[in-house]
Amino acid sequence: MFQLSIIKDTVAVHPSQFGLSPEQAITNELNKKYANRVLHDVGLCICVFDLAEVGEGKVRYGDGCLWYKVVFRLTVFRPFASEVIIAKVKSSDEDGVRLTVGFFDDIYVPLVYLPEPTAFDPKERAHFWLPGSEATSSHELLDSPLTDRMYIDAGDVVRVRVESDEFHDDEPGPPKAHEGVQQIIENRRSPYTIACSMSEQGLGPISWWKNAGVETMEEG
Amino acid sequence: MEVLNQRAALLSNYEVLTLLKELESDHLARTKTAIRIKKEEEAAGLPPKHQAPPDDVCENLRTVEVEAIQYLSADFQPTGSQTPEGITQLTRNLARWDLTKAEKLQIVNLAPTEPVELYVVVEELEDRFGNQMDDILNTVKETLREAAPAVNGTSNGAEPSQAMQVDAAVYSEYQDDYQDQDQWDYNANEVVFDDTGEGAGIEGDLDVDDD
Repeated sequence: MFQLSIIKDTVAVHPSQFGLSPEQAITNELNKKYANRVLHDVGLCICVFDLAEVGEGKVRYGDGCLWYKVVFRLTVFRPFASEVIIAKVKSSDEDGVRLTVGFFDDIYVPLVYLPEPTAFDPKERAHFWLPGSEATSSHELLDSPLTDRMYIDAGDVVRVRVESDEFHDDEPGPPKAHEGVQQIIENRRSPYTIACSMSEQGLGPISWWKNAGVETMEEG
Repeated sequence: MEVLNQRAALLSNYEVLTLLKELESDHLARTKTAIRIKKEEEAAGLPPKHQAPPDDVCENLRTVEVEAIQYLSADFQPTGSQTPEGITQLTRNLARWDLTKAEKLQIVNLAPTEPVELYVVVEELEDRFGNQMDDILNTVKETLREAAPAVNGTSNGAEPSQAMQVDAAVYSEYQDDYQDQDQWDYNANEVVFDDTGEGAGIEGDLDVDDD
C-alpha cells in the first residue's frame, strides 16, 4: 500500500524557525508542503520518511529565509495494481460501491468488478450478491428471497484487489480574456482515484469468507 | 520539485504505522515541553514573551497521521498482533518458497491465516505450492503474537503474554498523553478567559494587564 518516493526540492526555512535544528526545520517545511496532498503520478503523500541530502542553506536577496536544496524520501500511499487491500464500504449507488481507508476515500468498485450475479437494491441502497443463482437480469435478481441475498452494506470491511488507478490534474489554466467573468463550474474530479475489484473468490466482505474452507474455493 | 524515483521501495503497513506513531509521540512530547516552559515562565512571573507558535505542525499532517493510525491499527488489521521481530522472522522464513516480492509484502501486510486469504494473495497457489499451503499458513501463524487471531484481532485475554502487556502499557501511555492534551486545553482556556479583574468583559485582551 505504501511506498517510498525520492523527491528533490528546494525549501525555504523562515528565520523564526532558526532555533530548531536545520534537520527538524526542513522536515517541518516539507511536511507542511506535502502531507496529505496528492502528487501527480506518485500518489497520496503521508509524511517525510527521511532526508537523504541537504545542501548548504543559502540566503537570497529579498527575504531572510535560508533556502536549502533537499533530496528526501517521502512515504506515499499508492497501492500497486493487483495488490489486495482491506477497506471499509463508505457508500453504494447504482454505479458501484465507494470504499474508504480512513485517510483516503476515492476508492471505487465499479459494477463490472462486483461479484456475479449482483444487483442493486434501491430500497436498501446496497448491492447484493446471489451466490449460485442462474438469474441474469436485475429484475429476476430482485425477485429473490431476502434471506438468500448477501448484501454489501455500508460500514462492511471488505477485501478488494486494486485493478487500476488514475490521476487527474484539473488545475484551471490562466483565465482567458474572452471568457470574461463568467465561471464555468465543472464537476471537479478527484485528483487520484483507485478502481478495485471484488469479483474473485475470497474478495468482498471479510465476513463472507471467514469460515469458508477450501471446498468452497474449488467449487468456484 | 522533481521526482527522482517514484517508487524507490515498498513499505509494509507495520513500518508505516511505527513511523506515524513515532511522529505522533514526538509531537505530543514537544507540545508538552512547550506547555511546561510556558508554565514555568508564568510561575517565575516573567512577562509573557512574544509567542512563537510552538512549531506549528500543519493541520494536513495531523489529519493524515491520525486517520492513518486509526486505519492501520483497526481491529481488522493484523498489525495488533505483529511485532518487528515477528516480521523479520516471517520474511526470512518465507524465503523458502519461490514467492514474488509483492506476494511476500502482502503476506506480511495481511497475515493470511486461512487458505481463502492466501488464495487471494498468491497467484495460482495450487499449481505452485499445492500441498505446502498449510506450511505457509503455519509460518505466518507462528510469527503472529499468540492468542490474537489475525482476522479480527480480538485478543483472547486468556493469554497474558509479555508482549501484550507491553502493548497495553504503550496504549495507556498514549491515553495519558491525550489526557494531558485535554488538560492543556483546559489550562489554556483558563489563562485566556481569566478576566475577573479590571479587564472583565474584554475577553482575551491581554494588553489590559500591562496597563
